[in-house]
Amino acid sequence: MANAKGFFTDTTVCIGCKACQVACHQWNQLPTNSAFALTGASYDNTLTLDAYNWRHVKFIEQFPDTRAADAGRWLMMSDCCKHCVHAGCLEVCPTGAIIRTEYDTVYIQQDVCNGCRNCVAGCPFGVVAMDHVSGTAKKCTLCYDRLQNGLTPACAQACPTGSILFGDVQDLLTRARARVDQLHSQGRTAAYLYGDSADIVGGLNVFYLLEDKPEVYGLPSNPRLPSRNLWPSSGLSILTAAIVALGAFLNFRSRRLARPNANPNA
Amino acid sequence: MPSPLPTQTQFVLDPNWSLWVIIYFWLGGIAAGSYFTAALAQLIGGDCHRAIIRTAHLIAFPLVSICSILLIVDLYRPERFWHMVIQSETYLPMFKWWSPMSVGAWALLIFGAFSAASFLNSLWELGIRLPFGNFMNALHHGWIGTIFNFLGSFFGFFIASYTGVLMDTSNQPIWSDQGFMGALFLASAASTGVAATYLLTPKNVETEEGLGELNGFDRWAMILELAIIVIFFIALGAALSSIVLTSIYGLILVFGVAVLGLIVPLLLHRFAGHARWVMYVAPALVLVGGFLLRYVMVMMPHHI
Repeated sequence: MANAKGFFTDTTVCIGCKACQVACHQWNQLPTNSAFALTGASYDNTLTLDAYNWRHVKFIEQFPDTRAADAGRWLMMSDCCKHCVHAGCLEVCPTGAIIRTEYDTVYIQQDVCNGCRNCVAGCPFGVVAMDHVSGTAKKCTLCYDRLQNGLTPACAQACPTGSILFGDVQDLLTRARARVDQLHSQGRTAAYLYGDSADIVGGLNVFYLLEDKPEVYGLPSNPRLPSRNLWPSSGLSILTAAIVALGAFLNFRSRRLARPNANPNA
Repeated sequence: MPSPLPTQTQFVLDPNWSLWVIIYFWLGGIAAGSYFTAALAQLIGGDCHRAIIRTAHLIAFPLVSICSILLIVDLYRPERFWHMVIQSETYLPMFKWWSPMSVGAWALLIFGAFSAASFLNSLWELGIRLPFGNFMNALHHGWIGTIFNFLGSFFGFFIASYTGVLMDTSNQPIWSDQGFMGALFLASAASTGVAATYLLTPKNVETEEGLGELNGFDRWAMILELAIIVIFFIALGAALSSIVLTSIYGLILVFGVAVLGLIVPLLLHRFAGHARWVMYVAPALVLVGGFLLRYVMVMMPHHI
């Protein structure tokens, strides 16, 4: 879509301040998790996207057991809904609650969702989550209300390092590719873009610059649409139905053959 | 970029389909299986199976009614259940042919109508005169009856399998890593539907021959189900299969579903088929196996 809006998230400049998370919570009036707790496993205590955390700064702490000063590194990535060009959640939603907006973003209409959770099963990124208070599915809206009023999404506006860039997806792609070239010229040859091509569910309107394998960041390297199995599974079901019907034919035909004029009176 | 993981669905969240869904998958399978068995028996064998067909029809509609309630209760917003078939803002029909849940909601409505008509007809045949019973009876005879049974068996097959296709058409681990869940659920619907019909059909001289044929059909369905379970593991691949088979769910699938729910009933019919107790124990085991199959399949992805 020509007017597609999205984010380019450059993980190499993310400092893990979580300003984006706070801004998201404030603008969308999202509650904090009911029980505040330290995970004990990470400096990150949010851990995952859910119904109340539509944005989450992942801390990937790569340190050896020896804690050698020069051996470890931090990777940080501000994550949210990818607003896929071909969205698994939108594809399987049976009520039409999930729609594509005029900005090519994916939006869940809260007054339509009936809480069937099929979108949760269909999202390859584990983004869509259930709100047990409202009984509906929730995720990042890419600040649909702000976009309609000409504003930048809250997270991108709050980001102090420019890790989250908002804009037209085509413009962002140009900037992102230039940034990759810049990093490569600096010797950081591991840098690459994730979600910039149609190979990944038609392309991601929210795409990333990464420096390690996608799985390291909690992203699938080959996310796919739920519908990939629709026809194979349906075909195998039809074949099975034919085999079942053949079994019925072989077992139920004998008396009809023996007594073709049997009295049908029940 | 090749993934080091045995599946690309490691990062998804659990939809938390609860016990209501598991029971729906089970009862819906029994209802659909008994209904398409009755329809096929009528189409192929004619009216000599009426007692068995009546029993199947008396099973299907009550179970489908319970299924509808279970599905509504399972929604987080049950008062919005009608959004599945009607668009809440325009009041136009809501239908997405590429979404198994959307198609399934419509199919359940239509199958409910078929099973209700057959239920009323069975009551009519038993002498219970309810409104429209005569009309329902007319639907089951002659060329209209042939068309009715043909369509009824189609929707029965659909309800039996779409729940599995629904699971295949997701991004959940195991569910979406093969393509045989629809086929497996359909075969299981056949075995459990026949088992329920066999269990509840009166055992007398009139039904003896028909029950023998039903038994033969049940053996066919059980062997088919066993074969699909084996294919299911092959389709999962060595890495995922080994994870599944070394879990409690794998053990339940092998020993609860395959051995207790299929192989033992087959052996009972083979070696003790004339014993009266086998007529009750074998189908009961098949029904238990059918429930365990749904339980394992729904719970497995996020609990291994």
